[in-house]
Amino acid sequence: MNKTNTENDAKVKLREMHCKFNPLSRCDGSVMYSQGATVVIAAVLGPIEVKTQNLSIEGSYLECNYRPKAGLPQVKERIREAAIRDVLELALLSEAYPRAKMSLQVQELEDRGSIDACALNAACLAMLIGGLPLKYSFAAVHCIINEKGDFILDPEESETQHQKASFTFAFDSVDGDLLLVQTKGAFKIAQFNDIECICRQASVEIFDFYRSNIAKYHSKSEDQPLATIESARSELPMET
Amino acid sequence: MPGERVRVVEDAAKNKRVILGPGLRRLDDKVVASKAGPLRHKDPNTFWVDNYQRRYVPARGDLIIGIVKARVGDLYRVDIGSADTAAISYLAFEAATKKNRPDLNPGDLLYARVLNANADIEPELVCVNSNGKRGKLGVLQDGFFFKCSLNLARLLLRESCPALAALTDEMPFEIAVGVNGRIWVKAHSMRETVGLANAIMSLEQAGYAEIDKICGDLNSVMQT
Repeated sequence: MNKTNTENDAKVKLREMHCKFNPLSRCDGSVMYSQGATVVIAAVLGPIEVKTQNLSIEGSYLECNYRPKAGLPQVKERIREAAIRDVLELALLSEAYPRAKMSLQVQELEDRGSIDACALNAACLAMLIGGLPLKYSFAAVHCIINEKGDFILDPEESETQHQKASFTFAFDSVDGDLLLVQTKGAFKIAQFNDIECICRQASVEIFDFYRSNIAKYHSKSEDQPLATIESARSELPMET
Repeated sequence: MPGERVRVVEDAAKNKRVILGPGLRRLDDKVVASKAGPLRHKDPNTFWVDNYQRRYVPARGDLIIGIVKARVGDLYRVDIGSADTAAISYLAFEAATKKNRPDLNPGDLLYARVLNANADIEPELVCVNSNGKRGKLGVLQDGFFFKCSLNLARLLLRESCPALAALTDEMPFEIAVGVNGRIWVKAHSMRETVGLANAIMSLEQAGYAEIDKICGDLNSVMQT
C-alpha cells in the first residue's frame, strides 16, 4: 500500500496495483482493477451493432458509461465519463470497424482516492483484453499538492482531505504524449511541470504492470508448445 | 502491446512479401501492433497477434453457426455474433429455386460459410459450395447449442487438436464448430449431449495438457 517517503518529503510511489481479467462472462473483455483500496470493474463490448442515429461510416462510435457505487450517475460521474471517452477516442483505432459501436462500462466498486486515474487504467486494460484495436495503450496518474506544499502521488482518500491542488495526467505508451490533463486548485507553473515529470515516471511503472499482467494471462491460457500452433493454423483466415 | 513497432516482421518484409494478420497494421514503412498478445508466425510469411477474443469479426471463407432472426424479402437475417447481422439469400441452399424455398424459421440454427466479408457492408452467407451441393452445411436440427471463446473454437478445429479425437473414443456424436465461437453438438441421448457440451466448455479453462484427462473423465461422469 503506501510506500515510505523516499524523496525529501514527497511521496512518489504508486499504490499497489492488482488486476483480474475477465471476471464477467457475458462481455467481450472485462477487468477488475485496483490501485490501493480503489477498485473498479471495466467491461468492453465491441464491435457491436449501433443505433442508426449514432452510426458513422468512417469510424466506430464509442459509448462510455460510468456507474457510481450507489445510485444513478450524477454530474460528477458524467464528467468522469466524458474524460474517459475523450482519452479512448484518441487511443482507439476507430477506422478498423466502421458502422459499429464500441461500448465501455466502468463500475466503481470502491473510491478511496484517485478514482479518475484508476478508471482510465481499467478502461485501457479492458480494451487490451477485449482485443479492440488501439493505436497505443495509455496510463493515467493522479497527484496532489497537500497543505504543506508537498507532492503526493496516487494519494489515499485520507491524504486528499486538505489538498491545495489535484492533477490527473494520462500519457500514451508510444511517444509519451499527454492525452489528458485535469487540474483543480491553485498551483504554480513550476509545480505543474514537476508533477508532470513525476507522473510521467510513474506511468512507466503502470505500462510495465500492463505488460507483465497481459503476458501472464496469455501464458496461462496457452501453455501448449508454440510449434503445434504454428503448424496447425492453416484453416485460419488471414487478411492482408 | 498496441502501438509498438514489430521489428521482426519489418526485417522479414525486407526480402519478401509478408502477410499481416489480425492485430498488425502498416503505418507507412513501419509495422505496428494494434492488439496485445504474443506474436505468431506461420511459414512462409504470415504474421499475426494472438489474443483471447470473444467477439467474432467475419472473414471470407469462415465456417460459422448463425441463428436465423427474421425474413426480409428474399433474404434471411442471421445473427452470427459479429457487429452486423449477416444476410443469406433463400437461393443459397441446396436445390432451392424460386418456387421451392427453404423452410427456415426464426430461431433455426444454420451452419454456413461466409461468402462476403467487408467492414463496410453486411456479411453474406451461403449454405452450398460452388457446385451447388450442400456438403455439411445447412440447417442444424435438434442437438444442443452453446457459445464459447473464439480461441476454443479454433483450437477444436486444428487438425492436431487431440480433444475431438479423444471425445470420439468415448462415444459417437455429431458436432459443428463455428469459428464465431459457437458450437452445436448432438449425441444419441440428451444426457450424452449435455455431458459432451460440459466437457467441451471445460476445455476453455484447461491447458493443453489437460485435454486428454477431461475427455477421459467424460465417461466416468456419464456413469455417475
